[in-house]
Amino acid sequence: MANDFSDKSFLVVDDFPDMRSAIRHLLRSLGVSTLEQARDGQEAIAQLTRTSFDVILCDYNLGPGKDGQQVLEEARHRQLIGVNTIFIMITAENTREMVMSAIEYSPDSYLAKPFTKELLRTRLTKLFAAKANLAEVNKALIAKDYAAAISELDRLIAAKPKNLSELIRTKTDILLTAKRYEEAKKIFEDVLGARDLPWARLGLGKVYFWQKKYPLAQEVFEHIVGLDANMIAAYDWLAKTQTALKQFTAAEKTIQSAARLSPRGLPRQQLLGELALSNGNTHDAELAFGRAVALAKHSVLNHPSLFAGLAKSKSANGKHAEALKVVADIGKTFANGQEAELYAATATATVKKDQGDMEGAAAALKAAEESMQQMATTRHSSKVTLEMAKTYAQLGEQKKAEKLIHEAIANNHDEEELLMEVVQVCRDADLDYDAETAIREIQQAVVKTNNEGVRLIKQGQFEAAIQLLSGAADEMPGNKTINLNAAKAIIMKMESMGATADDITAVRHFIERVRDLDPNDWRLGDVISRLRQLATGAS
Amino acid sequence: MDFSDILASSIHDIKNSLGLILSSVDELVNDPNNKIADVRQASLLQHEAQRANNNLIQLLTLYKIGNQQLAARVAEQNLEDFLDEVIANNSALCESLNIQLSSDCDPDLNGYFDADLIRSVLDSTIGNAHRYAKTEIQVNATEEDGYLVIRVEDDGGGFPDSLSGLLKNMAKQPQESQAPGRTQLGLFFATSIAELHQNNGKRGRIELKNGHRLPGGCFELWLP
Repeated sequence: MANDFSDKSFLVVDDFPDMRSAIRHLLRSLGVSTLEQARDGQEAIAQLTRTSFDVILCDYNLGPGKDGQQVLEEARHRQLIGVNTIFIMITAENTREMVMSAIEYSPDSYLAKPFTKELLRTRLTKLFAAKANLAEVNKALIAKDYAAAISELDRLIAAKPKNLSELIRTKTDILLTAKRYEEAKKIFEDVLGARDLPWARLGLGKVYFWQKKYPLAQEVFEHIVGLDANMIAAYDWLAKTQTALKQFTAAEKTIQSAARLSPRGLPRQQLLGELALSNGNTHDAELAFGRAVALAKHSVLNHPSLFAGLAKSKSANGKHAEALKVVADIGKTFANGQEAELYAATATATVKKDQGDMEGAAAALKAAEESMQQMATTRHSSKVTLEMAKTYAQLGEQKKAEKLIHEAIANNHDEEELLMEVVQVCRDADLDYDAETAIREIQQAVVKTNNEGVRLIKQGQFEAAIQLLSGAADEMPGNKTINLNAAKAIIMKMESMGATADDITAVRHFIERVRDLDPNDWRLGDVISRLRQLATGAS
Repeated sequence: MDFSDILASSIHDIKNSLGLILSSVDELVNDPNNKIADVRQASLLQHEAQRANNNLIQLLTLYKIGNQQLAARVAEQNLEDFLDEVIANNSALCESLNIQLSSDCDPDLNGYFDADLIRSVLDSTIGNAHRYAKTEIQVNATEEDGYLVIRVEDDGGGFPDSLSGLLKNMAKQPQESQAPGRTQLGLFFATSIAELHQNNGKRGRIELKNGHRLPGGCFELWLP
C-alpha cells in the first residue's frame, strides 16, 4: 500500500504531553508502529545519538532549553541525521517568522498547527517520494561526488517532472558548492529571464561574489533587499560583500538590519559583534555579543570566542569587573579545552591592558602562548592564529603578530573570507604590515609552484613534479590546496604508471592533513574516489 | 503591553486548546469502537470547532499583518500537489457532512505564493462553503490573464447580491460592509492575504461570483 508507513521509524518531539499523545495517535492511525518520543531538545538529541529515524516531527517551541531549530542544527552539525532523514518542523503562527527566517539549517518541511491526519499522510507520502526520487543524487552528495550528482540531476531534469524548478534549484546549489560558477550563472539568468525570483537573484549575486565581482554582487543584493525587506539571506550576503569592499560601517548597518529581522541567528549576532567592536561601536558590540552568548547557551555552536568577544566589549565600555566575570564563565562553560583556555587568556590580556595593568596583561599573554603551543601539536585553526595575532598586536608585540598573520595567509592563500579577516585584523590592530601585498605575493608564489608542477606532469616528469609539490605541502602543511595538489600529482603518476603501496600511503597522508583541516572540503570527494579506484586496481 | 497584545496572546491559548479538542473529536469520530448515537452530531461538533479554530487563526494573522510582522514568503508551488494537501486537510469533514470535495487542475501548473497563508484562506473558504453546498465543493486552479486563479465553488444557492459588489472597497474598511459577521472576517482575511502577494506591480485580489463551473457560489483568489 502506497500510504503505509509501517516500516518507517518516527521520533516525535514536543514539550506538551497532550500534543505528543495527539500526534502519536495520529501516526498510529496512519499505520506507524515504530515511534519514539522526546519531551525536550536534549532528550531528542539523546535519542538521535542512539538511534536513527526515518522521520522526525519536531515542534519549534520546546519550552526552556533548546528550541526545534537548535535541535535541527545540532543534529545536522553533529551528523546525527543524514540527507535521507525527513525533518519536519511543526510551527504555530506565533513562531512562523522565527522558523522561516532561520536560513542556516532548514528542515525538509514545515507543518503549521493544527493539521489533520490526511494532511500529514499526503505530506509524508510526497516527502518519501521526493527522497526516493533524489536517492542517487544524495548518494553522490554524501560521497562529495558533485559531477555524479549533477549528471543524475540532469537525467531527472530531462524528464521535465512537476518538481522541475526544485531540481533546477538543487542543481544550482551543487554547482555553487563545486565552484562551477559560470554554469550556475547561466541557469540563474535563464530563470530570471522568465520571472524575478529571489532565490535566482540571490544565486546570481553569490556567483558575482565568488568571482570577486564585488560591485556587481553589491548591486544585486541591494536590489533584492529593496524588493523584499524581509529576505534575510540577502542582507547577510550584502554585508559580506560590503566587508569585501572594505565598507565596514555599511556592513555593520546591514547586518544590524538582518539581526533585527531574525534575532535568533547565532552566527549573525557574532558577526555583528565583531564588526561593531572593530568599528569602535563598543556599546552595540556588547549588546550583540551578549545576545550571542545567551543564544549559544543551548546551541551546539557555542564557542569560547563569543565569551571573549563579550568580555572585550565590556572592557572597552569600561566594565572591567564584569568583563573578567565573563572570562571566568569560559572555564565554567567549556570544560578543559586548550582553545577555551586560549580565548580566556587573550580576553584577560585585553581587559588587563584596558585597565592599565601591563604586568597582568603580559602574564595572560604568556598563558595564551602556552595554550597555543600545546594546541600546535594537534592543530589550531586559523581563527585561533588570528585571535593570537590580534592580541600580540594590541600588546605591542609587532613582530610576533606579523609572523602569525603571515602563517595565516600562507595556510589560506585562496580562502577569500579568511583573507578578508586578515586584512581587517591588520586594520584594527594598526599593524604596520601590508597584508594585501603579502597576500598577493604568497598567492603568486603558490600559483607559480603549481604551474611548474602541472608543466612537469605534462612532460611526464612525475617524480620532479611530486618532489616540487610535496615539498611545498610540507612547507605549508596547513594549506589545503597545496596538500591536495601534492596528492593529485601522485595520483596522476599512479594513473599513468600503475599504483604502488608507498604512493598510496603518501596520498593518504596528504588527504588526512586536508581532512583534519576541513572534513567537508569540496575537493576531497574527487581525490578520494580516484584513490579508491587505484587502490582496488592494485590489490 | 496593550490590550490587543493581551487579546492576541489569549486567542493563541484558546486556539491551542481548540486544537486539542479537535484532535480528540477526530479520534472519537474515527474510532469504530465508539458508540456514538448520532454520528452527525459529532461531525457537527467537529465542523464548528474547526470553524472556530480557523477564525482564531485568521484573527491572529490579521493582528500580525496590522503590526507589520507578517510578510508573504512566496515560493514556487505545484498546484496539483498543493490542492491535494488542501483536499486532504478538509476531506474527513466533508465526508462526514456528505459533501463531495474534489480538485481540478493541470498537473504541470505551478504558481508563486505563500503556501501556509493561501492554505488557511482556502481552508476557511471551504469551511464556509460547507454550509451552503448541497452535495459538492470543487477547488480548481488555472492561469488567466497572467494571474494564478484558485476557485472554491459549490452547488448551493450562491452568494447574495449584496456581497458581490461589496468587495471593491472592503479591503481597507471591513466595518462598513453589510455582510454578516463571520463572512466579513473571512473576506477581510482573504483580501488581506491576497494583497500581501505582489509581483511586477500587480497585486493579489479576491472576487466573488455565482455559477462558474458549479451552479452555486464561486470564490476566486487572483494571485499575480
